[in-house]
Amino acid sequence: MDVIREIFGLLFGQDPELRQIIGVTLRMSSLSTLVSALLGIPLGVIIGSTNFKAKRLVNRVLHTLMGLPPVVAGLMVFLVLSRSGPLGTLKLLFTVTAMVIAQIVLITPIMTGLTANIVSVKAPLIHETAAGIGLRPFQRMLYIIYECRVQFISTVLTGFGRAIAEVGAVQMVGGNVQFKTRVMTTAIMMQTNMGHFEFAIALGVVLLVIAFLINSLVSRIQESAGLA
Amino acid sequence: MISVRNVLVQAGGRVILDIPLVEFEEGKRYGLIGENGSGKTTLLRMLAGTLQPSQGEVARQNPDGVGYMPQAPYAFSFSVLRNVEMALKNTPDRRDKAARALEAVGMQNLLMARGNKLSGGEAQRMAVARMIAKPRQLLLLDEPTSSTDIRGTDSIENTLLEYTRNTHCTLIFSTHSPAQVLRLAEEVIFLDQGKILENGPARDVLENPRTENARLFLQHWRI
Repeated sequence: MDVIREIFGLLFGQDPELRQIIGVTLRMSSLSTLVSALLGIPLGVIIGSTNFKAKRLVNRVLHTLMGLPPVVAGLMVFLVLSRSGPLGTLKLLFTVTAMVIAQIVLITPIMTGLTANIVSVKAPLIHETAAGIGLRPFQRMLYIIYECRVQFISTVLTGFGRAIAEVGAVQMVGGNVQFKTRVMTTAIMMQTNMGHFEFAIALGVVLLVIAFLINSLVSRIQESAGLA
Repeated sequence: MISVRNVLVQAGGRVILDIPLVEFEEGKRYGLIGENGSGKTTLLRMLAGTLQPSQGEVARQNPDGVGYMPQAPYAFSFSVLRNVEMALKNTPDRRDKAARALEAVGMQNLLMARGNKLSGGEAQRMAVARMIAKPRQLLLLDEPTSSTDIRGTDSIENTLLEYTRNTHCTLIFSTHSPAQVLRLAEEVIFLDQGKILENGPARDVLENPRTENARLFLQHWRI
């Protein structure tokens, strides 16, 4: 009971640190998801709905990038943003922006790949049917996007889930700086290492609640669209 | 006149369709018959313009007057009525026309149902309604009754007969049913391994096939 009381105290008490960590986490995950969706979904639609020579190669590269280890993404972004790196003058290392960039590198291929897979299943059927009733290529593309809309929302939420749960890359480029770049996952790691299990559990509970809310939202959207 | 000349369609090094010449007279009804993989769908897709032949040419009408219904027509997730209205862009009274087309195929009670919730047979009837919602010069239907029950099949066949009579539209459809060819088509084209084995008046070809392969295929025809 003492542990539960302490967790509630951390979540709703005077100490702003936990709420600040949650705030940074949500800001970082939302922004990286938004940018990844804006890049990944249109790219996925193009890859999934068109036939071009290098499509097989592009898909292989994409599937490889979908499994990109977070520490590798973190290392790449770290090297680019470090003082001696090509973008070192921007002084972005150990900022939330650097964490967002690292997550975009990680999540965009996932969103692109998922979108391409979704579209490649539906696009040939829609394309053939729509062409058969005389719709122009642009109109066909709009109908393909419309018919995949619910799956696209699921894709975005999957990306958000990946972003919020990610630890390796954000630790490397964010540095887990207190009141600045500390997010839930890096804080859980640090607090566990320090033996502060109540704090780590409180953060874990918040992460689980967010994951539950995301899943509920996906199911609700699918049900309301008649696709579940 | 729609003509297909010296057409060759290849995929993966295999010849899918090899037709030196076939002509379709305007206003007539043609049934394509043959085994699975004989080239019926490929011929229809080529006539629809959704597939380009490796060589040869297809001369046909203005694409705006052509309607093509694929073997697995897609039913969009909006209402059945809107699914049919899609085919009537920039047409006045399109809602009424779509409703009339759906009534013709017996779907007047399903106007507001979601397209993606229809059964396979219902989706096929809706797709036929999309085809007949406006006058066309050429109708290409790939197995239009493959999922319908006997009542649905009868409704579609009668609707198509009436539509072609009223619009003088050329109808080319594929089927696995020789009986359907007799009911719906004036001419039959018998395809085998991408080649035209026989063609001519439906009853003549189906009752007295000249080639061995056509005879072997039709011996499986039972009532």
